[in-house]
Order: sequence, then structure tokens, then C-alpha cells
Amino acid sequence: MRQALIRIGAIVRKEFRHLGRDPRMLLAVVIMPVIQLLLFAYAISFDVDHVQTVVIDLDNSPASQRYLRQYEASPFFDVVARGRSLADVDSAFDHNTAQVAIVIPSGFSRTLAADESAQVAVMVDGSELNAAKVSQAYSVALNQLYSQELTRDWADAQGLDLSSLGLLEPRIRTWYNPERRSSDFLIPGLMAVIIAIVTVQQTAVTLVRERDLGTQEQIEVSPMRRIELMIGKLLPWTLIAFLDVALITVLGRTLFGVPLRGAAPAFALGAMLFVFASLGMGLLISALAPTLDSANMIALLVAFLPSFLLSGFAFALDQIPVWLQWISYGFPARYMVTIARGVFLKGAGFTELWPEMAALALYALVMLLISAVLYGRRSSR
Amino acid sequence: MSLKRIRLLIWKEFIQLRRDPLLIRLLLIMPVLQLILFGYVVAVDVRNLSTAVVDLDRTATSRSLESAFSGSGYFTITQQLASENDLRPLLDSGVVKVALVIPEGTQDRLARGEAAPIGIIVDGSDSQISAIGSGYASQIVAQFNTDRRDALGIQLAAPGIDARVRVMFNPTLDPINTMIPGLIAAIMMISLLAIMSQAVVKERESGTLEQMFVTPIKATEYLIGKLTPYAALATAQMLLVAAGGLFWFKVPFNGDFWVVFTGLFLFMFTCLGLGLLISLVSRTRHQAQQAVMFIMIPTMVLSGFIFPIQSMPAIIQPLTNLIPLTWALQVLRGAFVKGSGFEALAVPMLALVGFAVIIFGAAIVATRRRISE
Repeated sequence: MRQALIRIGAIVRKEFRHLGRDPRMLLAVVIMPVIQLLLFAYAISFDVDHVQTVVIDLDNSPASQRYLRQYEASPFFDVVARGRSLADVDSAFDHNTAQVAIVIPSGFSRTLAADESAQVAVMVDGSELNAAKVSQAYSVALNQLYSQELTRDWADAQGLDLSSLGLLEPRIRTWYNPERRSSDFLIPGLMAVIIAIVTVQQTAVTLVRERDLGTQEQIEVSPMRRIELMIGKLLPWTLIAFLDVALITVLGRTLFGVPLRGAAPAFALGAMLFVFASLGMGLLISALAPTLDSANMIALLVAFLPSFLLSGFAFALDQIPVWLQWISYGFPARYMVTIARGVFLKGAGFTELWPEMAALALYALVMLLISAVLYGRRSSR
Repeated sequence: MSLKRIRLLIWKEFIQLRRDPLLIRLLLIMPVLQLILFGYVVAVDVRNLSTAVVDLDRTATSRSLESAFSGSGYFTITQQLASENDLRPLLDSGVVKVALVIPEGTQDRLARGEAAPIGIIVDGSDSQISAIGSGYASQIVAQFNTDRRDALGIQLAAPGIDARVRVMFNPTLDPINTMIPGLIAAIMMISLLAIMSQAVVKERESGTLEQMFVTPIKATEYLIGKLTPYAALATAQMLLVAAGGLFWFKVPFNGDFWVVFTGLFLFMFTCLGLGLLISLVSRTRHQAQQAVMFIMIPTMVLSGFIFPIQSMPAIIQPLTNLIPLTWALQVLRGAFVKGSGFEALAVPMLALVGFAVIIFGAAIVATRRRISE
């Protein structure tokens, strides 16, 4: 046993020495996650405001100007240009200088003065999806509000009381993240993505590289047992992955003020299981891939893409086709995102999250076992 | 320049590629997988949000409000609850994303002509769902009010605004229509960077680079021979994605083929140059691979491929101009979705020319220097 520990220690030292020899690598596994965190947390958001808007006022009357002021006053629309004809809409959309165009036809004020509904055209550039969706909803709401205002003014002038109509008032409450801050939503999930990138990719190439460089044979003739080699290879990456988790947690809490509402030990255990599951996956790739290039490519396919797209980190999983939902259960990242978000945002603990933890534990166990068997078979050949 | 030498070099690259049949297969599986993932996951429309209803009013009004919600297509009512207290566990576990709470006496309040508040609770732990869900919910309630007033037969001869909101270019607002053009460019960048970055460093690691330099081969010939196979592979991947997008996802193509061709051609040189530069700068293949990740992640996040540039903070938005993919996306989306021509896309085209000249030029200069050393 003591001998085994010494041998494992030797491998761990060797791995760290490899890392130390290549400072750029160390940079990649420690600085990269920080950069990714900043990037994702600052840049990603689905909130839309300040949509560039071009207005074409063919009526040019006090009434139309008053109507347009509604858009200018709204933080959602940014009136960036005024056009003279419909051709200006085409050119603004073609050159991407505006995403929304509002066209007030001539006769607008005359129609209003006649106590009728005046038509207005709102055109939305559908190629900017999020902006288009939200612009659509906001322009409808803005027009409804303004219509109500006009009706009220009219009723006041006529001496009518409109308050007898009765209205439903939606009171919208956003739970868990009342200010709807994207960073609160993204940072816990981001951990799964970053850990998957760092650990799977690195372990995926670690054994293949020994094979490529021919040092594999040297290790095999040493008294080192395979299981010891595996443990020795995995330990440094486990430590680095934990370091990354801690780094992201601290930065997320201090820099971005992400709340930690639940049980921290539950999160730590979840992260640990996820790290093991990811390492097992990397090791499996390493045992299967014939060359470094393939190992890289497989790591990209099974680690990066699924943890980015099938984890629920940024894209809602219950919206995707059912067969893809089933596939998403086959990758560990989705469990990790649920655990992280549950603990950080929803204040969950072991009682709520044990199914995810069990899934991760099972996953890690199966992956490590398969890769141990495969790796054993490969080297005994 | 000798065509024979170039041909031999291309042949050699293909032989080396063939030696790892798994890699070739992976290179063809990757675009298909990405097509599926991006097509079905990222380009998903937020619809049928699972919704719980707490109807404490139990009147005709509350029932018609519920059917207005479920009839909209955005909300699917999966739970009917007796009390607001039952909501917490359902939202906690994520079984429902939205809850509609109709308090007791809503109908009476409306009948008395008062304002009747109703509660709409959205799960804020998913920002896209909460933003879109609350937007649709207020729209439905506003429509409900209008319908109710009309049904009551209150006709006001008041002035009003009749806004006709029209979505241009992509009237169904189907996300896949903007995703596929972007994916074509992204696939090219991912695969060219992934393979090109290994091209030279691989030879250096195995020591064949020196052997290459003692042969009569010239720098230009070496470059052409090295780049052609990968450019061909990337083109095959792009065609696969384009075919999948056009025939499987039925993405409409409104534009000019030559606009797309020119844009992709310029962008390809940028990617080849970038890959080559990484390969020349890196000492080991591992470093090269890390460098690719280092470039890929900001590119994916900041180019507007997945996350809208307009939603980024004002400080970050200018940074997106430094990313070649940003411009390639403008050209491809402009051509695919809007049918824009060369004139309208002059700025992004020129930007792509600039990137191609600078990055590819730098790569050539660096290769020449490396070879003459």
C-alpha cells in the first residue's frame, strides 16, 4: 500500500512537472476559466433594450410628434434616425442601422381629430430574433397604452367617467431572481461548462500523449500498476478542477454578487462528483481514441458541445424535442447545472438534489470502471 | 512553383488523414451533430411553458382567463392547485415555470368596475423563460381586457391607435432561419481552426518539419499543399450543414449565391490564416489546442452567433467588431434572411477583406520566416 502511494505520488509529481514546464498550459487551466467567467457573465444576456428605431413621420403634425415622443421616452426604443419615405426603411434594414421602423401615414392627425382610430405601421426586422420578439410585444403594449391615454383624454373632454369599465391588472413577480439578472442565472451553470472543458479535454489527451510520445512503454515496464497510473494521472486534474470551482464561486460571489442561498456542502459534493464524472469521461476517451487529433475532436464533441448546449446552462431543456431531452440525461453536465442552480438560486440542499447527486455518482463510477477495463485491455495487448 | 510538388504534398496530407479513419468520421459527424444541437436546442422557440393555475375565484371570468392562457400556445396548464402554498415546491423543482394566481372575488371586482389584480409568477432562474413568459402573459391579459370590453358592447367613439406590427424578412420569427446561416460560418471556423492549428506543430513534434525544409520545396508550395486539403474538408462540412439547413430544416434562402460565396471565401482565408498562425506560434500540439479554445470561446460568445450583440453592455459591443465571425455572420444572415446584396453588405465585406489580408498575410510571412530560418 505504501509502495503504491509512493508510485502514485511519483506520477502526480511527473504530471505537475509537465505542467510546470509549460507555463502556458498552467495559464490555460487557471486563467482561462476566469476569462470565460468574465466573458459569459458580462456579455451574455437575453435582455433587450435600446433597440435602434427609425421613424418616418409622413404626417408631421403635433399629434404625430406627441405619439412619437412615446417611443423616445421608452428605454426600449432608441430613435436613431428620421426618414422621409418608405425607401429609408429598406435602406436602414439593409444596412443594419435600425431594427424597428415606425411609419406614420399622412392624415394621422386628421383621423384622430375625427375621433377615429389612426393607423400606424410598425415594422420589425425579423433577422434579429430576440430584438424582434421583444419589439413586437413592446410596440403592441406601447400602442395599447397610448390608445388608452387618448381615450381617457377624450372621455375627460366629454365629461364621461371611464373608471366603471373594470380592468384586469397583471402583477408579475419573478421568483428566485427578482431583478432578472442574467449573471445570477448563468454563473452557477457556467461552472459545469468550465469544468467540463478543463477536465475532459485535458484528461482525454493525457494517456494518448504518452502513447504518442512513446513513454507509455517506459511506464509499462516500471513496477507501476495500471490503476496507480490512472489515479496518478487523475489527481492533478482533480485538484485543478477544484481550484477552478473555488475560483469561480469566489469571483461569482464577490464580483457579481451571485447569491448562495442553499447548502454549500451539497454544492461541494455535487461539484466533486461532477469532476469525477468528467474525469472518467476524459479517461474513457483517452482509452478509446487512436490519435491525439481524434481525442481532441471527441472531447470537443462529447464534452464541450453537450455541456454547452444540452446542460440547460443557457438554453431551456424543457423546450427541446423529447428525444433530445433523453439524450441530455446521458451527459453529466445537466445534473451539475441543476445542482449548482438549485443550491445558489433556489436554496436547495441534499433533500431536493439527491437524485442528481446519485446520477452523477453512478455516472462517475461507470465511466471510471469502463475506462479502467478498456485501458487494461489495451495495455495488455 | 511546381504543381507536382504541391500535388505530392496534398497527397501526403490525405494519406496522413486516412491513417486515422476515426478522425475523418468525426470530422463529418461533427457538422451533423452541431446541426442537430443548434437546430433543436439553440434555435428553439419558447412555447408551451408548463404553467400552474391557482384559481381561487372559480367563476366564468377566471375560466375564460385560463383558456386565454392555454389557447395562446405559449402556456400549457399542467397543474390546477387549490392554494398558493402548493406553488413553492412545484417551482422549486422546476415542474412548472409559470404560475397564474386568480384571487377570490376577481369577477365581482370586474363587475363593480374596479381594477382586479391577478398574480403571474415566473421562474427567474431561467432568464429567457422569465423575460419571454412575462411578456406574453401581459400581452394576453391586455388582449383579455380589450375582448371583455368589446363583449360588453361598450363602443367608444374615441380616437385610438391601430398599430399594425409587421415582422419583416422572417415573419414566423423562427430562430432556425437565422441559426443555420450562422452555423455555416461557425462550422467552418471550428473545424479549420481545430485541424489547421495542428498542421505545422504536428510536423514539428514528429521532426518531419526539418525534413521538409531540406527538400527543394518552396514556402509558397508548402503553404498551398498544406492548406488545400483542409480547405476542401471544411468546404465539405459547410456543404453538409447548408444542405441540412435547406432541406431538413427548410430554411428559406432569399439572397444571392455569390454574396454568400464571396463572404465565405474571404472568411475561409481568415480562418486558415488564424489556424496557421496558432500552429506556428505553439510549441506543442497541446498548446495549439488550448490556443484554439482560447480563441473559440470568446468568438462563440461575442460574435452574436448565439447571444445577441445588442443585449451586451455598451462597453463590450465595440469589442465584437474585432471578431471576424461577427462580420461573416452579418454577411450570411443578411444574404440568407434579408436577401441583401453587395451594396448593402459593403461594410462587413470590407471588414472580411481586411481580416483576410491581415491575418492570412501575417501567416504567410510567419511561415516564410520559419522556413528560411
